[in-house]
Amino acid sequence: MKIENTKAQMRKGVLEFCILSILQDDDAYTSEIISQLKDAKLLVVEGTVYPLLTRLKNAGLLNYRWEESTSGPPRKYYGITETGKLFLLELNTTWSELTIAVNLITTKK
Amino acid sequence: MNKTISINLGGIFFHIDELAYQKLKLYLDAIRRSLSDDPQGRDEILNDIENRIGELLSERITDVRQVVDENDIDEITKIMGKPEDYLVDEEIFEDETGYNRAKTSNKKLFRDTDDKFLGGVCAGLAHYVGIEAIWMRLLWLALLFFFGTGFLVYILLWILVPQAETTAEKLQMEGEPVNISNIERKIREEFQDVSAKVKDGVNDISEKVKNSDFKKNLSGNTKSGLNEIIDTLGTILVSILNVLGKIIGAVIIFIASIAIIGLIIAAFSWGSFEMLGFSEDFINYPPFFFDSVIPAWLLITFAFLAIAIPFVILFLLGLKILSSNVKSFSTTTKLSLLGIWIISLLGLGFAGINYASQTAYDGVFKQTEELPIIANDTLTIKMIADDNLSARSELSRQYDFETVYENEIQKLYSSRINVDIKSTDKTNASIKIRKESTGKNKLNANKDAESIEYEFNITDKNLLLNGYFLSNFNNKFKDQLVDITIYLPINTVLYLDNSTKSYLDNVQNVQNIYDRNMPKHLYKMTIDGLACLDCDSSIFGDDYKEKNEKFNLKIDEDGVEVNINNGKKNANIKVDENGVKIN
Repeated sequence: MKIENTKAQMRKGVLEFCILSILQDDDAYTSEIISQLKDAKLLVVEGTVYPLLTRLKNAGLLNYRWEESTSGPPRKYYGITETGKLFLLELNTTWSELTIAVNLITTKK
Repeated sequence: MNKTISINLGGIFFHIDELAYQKLKLYLDAIRRSLSDDPQGRDEILNDIENRIGELLSERITDVRQVVDENDIDEITKIMGKPEDYLVDEEIFEDETGYNRAKTSNKKLFRDTDDKFLGGVCAGLAHYVGIEAIWMRLLWLALLFFFGTGFLVYILLWILVPQAETTAEKLQMEGEPVNISNIERKIREEFQDVSAKVKDGVNDISEKVKNSDFKKNLSGNTKSGLNEIIDTLGTILVSILNVLGKIIGAVIIFIASIAIIGLIIAAFSWGSFEMLGFSEDFINYPPFFFDSVIPAWLLITFAFLAIAIPFVILFLLGLKILSSNVKSFSTTTKLSLLGIWIISLLGLGFAGINYASQTAYDGVFKQTEELPIIANDTLTIKMIADDNLSARSELSRQYDFETVYENEIQKLYSSRINVDIKSTDKTNASIKIRKESTGKNKLNANKDAESIEYEFNITDKNLLLNGYFLSNFNNKFKDQLVDITIYLPINTVLYLDNSTKSYLDNVQNVQNIYDRNMPKHLYKMTIDGLACLDCDSSIFGDDYKEKNEKFNLKIDEDGVEVNINNGKKNANIKVDENGVKIN
């Protein structure tokens, strides 16, 4: 068992939650989402994000539109749907429960 | 000096040098492959990725005239991650669709020729019951060998079950509801599969041509052409070996599984032998089931493990040959299996030595008693049984043992008794009883022999011999037997009751009468042994007849010759061409 794998699995688990959170107030285009995730050190390589975004979109949690850009080709802007917001709400609750639980266990000693 | 290629990446135009192009192409292909589970989302994801790479490259390449080189691509792949990083945990997304698939019910049985080995029967059946085709094939293989009819049934199914040809049929085969969107999806999937294959194939070929050109230019020789032929031959050889390996694997799996199934059945049925009506002696048959220090159930477990573990390993080996993604046992499991196996072998070895030592020595116990019988008395010998002890209906000599209870004590009942009758020059008759047993040492064997319970009775010139003996229940399989010899003075008359029929053992008699024919007759003891007083000559032995009565009749082309000889006188009548001659 490699520590890298475990780390990556842990990160991947919360990645969807974070993507939805990033998009909950403002729409963003892919590179913006990636740079936010990278700044938070949640992302090591960018590749992981693309399949996730497509899956979230296919699940109806996200939608996207094309927007012209001044500096190059049109950009894909992602936004959260109503279902996505409900989904995010649930995830928020689960996350807070989870952090409490994990804290409780890891600080018990 | 390098050639450059112009590419369009996410709507942005780049000059890229040839090596960098190859590298980027390989990278994108690898990603495409790692996403191949999801043909719909794949193109969309790849588009996004290309867009992003374009964006990243345009950040690095500020001047339009600058060429993208290998270093740039290396940097990009570092940022984007390895192809494996694009894999998302499939289970999270898969379980939903799996559930839907299981719910749908209107499946139909078709042959799946897309996934066929022979006629696609197994693949179709596997779709129908919802398992992987490989298991169905293994099952068929097993059926084939078990009953032989599997082959015929397969052929029948091949003929009778229609092939899934239309998209609707394929969907029904896989158990998905047939509706417009599903059909559309299926068609698209198939189309994508085919188009991807075609595209890949074309690309491969063109690349190979390009590469070989390229290499040729670089190294200036034509070695690569030869290399390719060797490569192709190698591929063919590898695929042939693969098929052979699979066949061997299947055979190994088959043999191992049959062995394991057989062993399991054997191990479980041993306890039910009694219920099935097998005699207890069979269950207790040595060397495994005799009464030893190791209980029988443990011995059976040892035997089972000692044989089954190698077959389990063999089975796993076969599975591994067939499919490389079968998980192997962990080292701990392997070591414990090895340990258990060795223990089983040691246990069996111990039991074997134990058994051998139990019967290493022969022991004998003799006793002689005088009988109140003198010359000219008439003695009757009878064998008797105790009906309360054994349920055996017939009084006869038998070599096996039966468990009986005498006064609520468990004992072994046997009727391995030999009776012999000899002459004596003493005035009184006597009886000698010789008991035999084996044991792990001489003393033990002698003791066991002595402990054999045997009784007889004499009342009013009737000798009543027990037709059985009893021995200690723990002395199983010690070859116990009882030899009885009755010594009679000359001129004593003897009557053998019918019950002695199967116990008599080579009793010497004047007329050479076979033991079985001796009972129910009167005999007189002579110097030569017993002489029958009321026997019909038909039961006389051949030796006796030949010695005492010679009657020869010869008829041939010379004439007729009759020769009669009763021991003392000889008569001869001869009729031939010379006339009749009587001597």
